[in-house]
Amino acid sequence: MNKLIIIKYGELTTKKGNIKFFIKTLKKNIDCALEGLDYKIEYDNGRMFIFSNDLDEIEKRLRYIFGIHEIIIGYEYDSIDIEDLKKNLIELIKNKELDTFKVETKRSYKGYPITSMEVSRILGGVVLANAHGAKVDVHNPKTVIDVEIRFNKAYIYFGGESGLHGYPLGVQGKGLLMLSGGIDSPVSGYLAMKRGIRIECIYFESPPHTSDAAKEKVKSLVRILSKYSGYIKLHVINFTEIQEEIYKNISHEYLITIMRRMMYRISERIAHKNNCKIIINGESIGQVASQTLTSMSVINETIRMPVIRPVACLDKLEIIDIAKKIDTYETSILPYEDCCTIFVPDHPVINPELNKCVEYEKLIDWPLLIDKAISNEEVIKITKENENFKDLL
Amino acid sequence: MIYLDYSATTPVSKEVLDSYIKVTKEYIGNPNSLHSLGEKSHELMESATKQICDILDIDEKEIIYTSGSTEANNLAIIGYALKNSKRGKNIVVSKLEHPSIYGICDYLKTFGFTITYVDNNEEGLIDFEDLKNKVKSDTILVSIVAVNSEVGIRQPLKTLRQIIKKQNENTVFHSDMTQAVGKVNINLHDVDMASLSSHKIYGPKGIGMLYKNEKINVEPIIHGADNSLRGGTPSLPLIVAFSKALRIAVTNCSKNESVVKLLNEKLSSTISKYPKIKINKTAYSIPHIFNISLMNIKPETFIHALEKRDIYVGSNTACSKGGISSTLMALYSDKTRALTSIRICLSHLTSFDDINKFLYSFDIVYNKLSELGDKLE
Repeated sequence: MNKLIIIKYGELTTKKGNIKFFIKTLKKNIDCALEGLDYKIEYDNGRMFIFSNDLDEIEKRLRYIFGIHEIIIGYEYDSIDIEDLKKNLIELIKNKELDTFKVETKRSYKGYPITSMEVSRILGGVVLANAHGAKVDVHNPKTVIDVEIRFNKAYIYFGGESGLHGYPLGVQGKGLLMLSGGIDSPVSGYLAMKRGIRIECIYFESPPHTSDAAKEKVKSLVRILSKYSGYIKLHVINFTEIQEEIYKNISHEYLITIMRRMMYRISERIAHKNNCKIIINGESIGQVASQTLTSMSVINETIRMPVIRPVACLDKLEIIDIAKKIDTYETSILPYEDCCTIFVPDHPVINPELNKCVEYEKLIDWPLLIDKAISNEEVIKITKENENFKDLL
Repeated sequence: MIYLDYSATTPVSKEVLDSYIKVTKEYIGNPNSLHSLGEKSHELMESATKQICDILDIDEKEIIYTSGSTEANNLAIIGYALKNSKRGKNIVVSKLEHPSIYGICDYLKTFGFTITYVDNNEEGLIDFEDLKNKVKSDTILVSIVAVNSEVGIRQPLKTLRQIIKKQNENTVFHSDMTQAVGKVNINLHDVDMASLSSHKIYGPKGIGMLYKNEKINVEPIIHGADNSLRGGTPSLPLIVAFSKALRIAVTNCSKNESVVKLLNEKLSSTISKYPKIKINKTAYSIPHIFNISLMNIKPETFIHALEKRDIYVGSNTACSKGGISSTLMALYSDKTRALTSIRICLSHLTSFDDINKFLYSFDIVYNKLSELGDKLE
C-alpha cells in the first residue's frame, strides 16, 4: 500500500481544448510550491497523484495553489482483485468512525470483470459487516468511500479537503495590481489570482509625507499574497513631486481625481513595460468620492488598457471577510498614511467633469513628471519568506 | 576545561553571538521610533518574532519578551493571580519546580493566596489522582514544570492539562519550559502559558519569553507605555539572538538528543559500579541531566575538588546553592540523598573524550574524598 495525495482539478475540467496547458501549468505551480521536498507527481486528464514521505507538508503547501478542487489523502494498491480490495478496505476502516456512508466506484479500466455498481455493492456489504454502527445512505451520506479501479492499480479514499478552486495561476497571463495598503486592493489581487492571473504590484509612495513604515506594510501585504504565487514583483513609484505639483497648482476639490488620473497613466506604462495585459485595483463602487461611477469614468478615460475591479460590487463587510480569510486584514488596518490619505481636500468632487480635468492638467507639466517618476521606479522582488534578515536569524 | 553544567547555563554559540554583535552595531534604532532607522529595527524585530512564532506554532500577540524565565514565571503567576484574584485565590504547583516558582508562591501568600502542592509518584510523575483532588473551584492557576531542572523528569503536559480542565475548565495551566526547550519536543498548545529562556539553549543571558494564550489576561509586573505587558525598550540584539538560538536548538533537537543519550549511557554504566553512589534517575528522566547522590561526601567539596582539575559540574541547581534538594526529597524522602547530590549535565558539545577524562578524575576524587567521608562518619 502507498499513501498518497490525490488532487482533483478545479474548474479546468470544463476547458476542453486547453486542458493540457491548464494541467501543465498547475503541475509547474505545484513543482514550484514543493521546492525542497522529495516527491513524485503522476497525472492524467482527471487527477494528479503525489507520492512522498512528507505528505503533511505537501498538503499544507497545496492549500495555497489555485486550480485545485479537492486535496485528498488516498491509498494506492497494486492489486485490483476484488478479494484484495475487500481485505484492504477492512484494514482502512478499522479505526474510522463511520456513521452513514456510501461506496462510489469508478472504473477507468473497463475490462474489469465486475461492474462499478456491483463493486460498490460488494464493498458496501464489507463495510456494513466490519464497521460497528455504520449505515448505508446513498442520498446524503456523511462519508463517501471512493474506490477507483485502473488497469493495474486501485485507489481507496474517504473524501478530502476543499482546495482553493479557480484556475492555475498564470493561465491567463499577467495583470498589474494597484496596491495602496488598504483592505480592498489585496483582496482584489487575491481574486484576480484566483482567476489564473499572475500579478505584479504597483505602489505609489510620497516620502516624506508617507513613511517607510507604510512601504514596509505594503511589502508585508505583497509577501502575504506571494504565498499564492511563490514571488511577486513590486514596483514602487515615487509620487511626491507629482502630488506636490497638483496640490500647489490645481483646485483642491479636483485633487484626488487628477491624482488618480496620474496614477492610472503611470500604471498603464508600467503594465505595458512588464507585459501585463490589464490593470487590477481595489475600487469599490461608491466607497469614496473617487469611486463614484462618474469619477471612475473620468479617471478611467486617461488610459486604454482594461481595468478590472474585482471588489467593485462587494460590500465593505464582504471584502473584510475575504481579507480576514486570506490574512491580509490585520496588516491592512495598520495605521500609516498612504498616498491617498495625505492632502485630502475637505470636499472632494463627487461628480468631476472631464473637461475641467483636462483644463486643470494643463497647469502642470505632467508628461515630464510622469517620465521622471517612471525612470526612478524601484523594483522589489518579494518572496513568501522574508529573506532580508536570513543571515541574522 | 571540561564543562558539564549545561543545565545551569550554556555557552553562547558562535553564530548566535555573531548576530548579537552585528545587530548591536548596525541596528541602532529603537524599534518604536518613527524614522527609517527605527523602522529597520522594527522590521528585524518582527522577523525575529515571526521566526519564533513559526517554530513554536503560536501567534505574534502571544509572545512577551522578558529578561529570562524567572521574570516570565513572575509575569505568568503573579500577573495572572493579581488580575484574576476575584475568581479564586488558590494556586497549585508541583514539588519539582525551579526555586523561582516557590519564591513567587511565597510572595503571593502575603496577598492572601493559598498554595497547594501536588504530589508525584516515585518515578517523579505528577500523581494524576492527587492533581484531580487538588484542583478546586477556587484554583485559578496550576503551574507544573515541563522538565525538572535537577533530575530531568519530563511531565506529560497534555494529560495534565486534560485532568486540570476537567476539574475546572477556568483553571489556567502554566508550565516552566526552561529545561525542556531544545532538549525535547514541546507543544505550547498543551498549556495556556509557558516560560522559556535563551541562555539554556546556547543563546545570550538576559532574554526569555512568556507564551501567553491570547485569551488570557495578566497584570503587568513592569509597567510601561500604553498597553504593554512588559515596559521597556525591546532589546533587539537579544531578541534576534534568542530567535536564532531557538531555531538552531529546535532544528537539532533530536539529533543532539541521540548524541547525549550515548554519553549518558556511558556515565550510567560506569558510575553504577560505585556501590555507595545512588543514581537519581527515573524512567521519565531526559538524558541531558545525570544526577547522582554521593551519600558520604558534601557536594560542595566534591565540586571544588573537580574544579581543581578543570572540570565543572553542578550542585542540585545553580539557583539554590548547597541547600537540600526539594526535588530529591519529593522523589525519595531521603535526607542524605537530597543533601549530597551533584548534577552532571550533558550537551551535544560534550565529547566521549570529555566523559572519559571526567570519569578518570571522578574516580580519583571520589576515592580520596570517600575515604575521608567514611572516617568522618
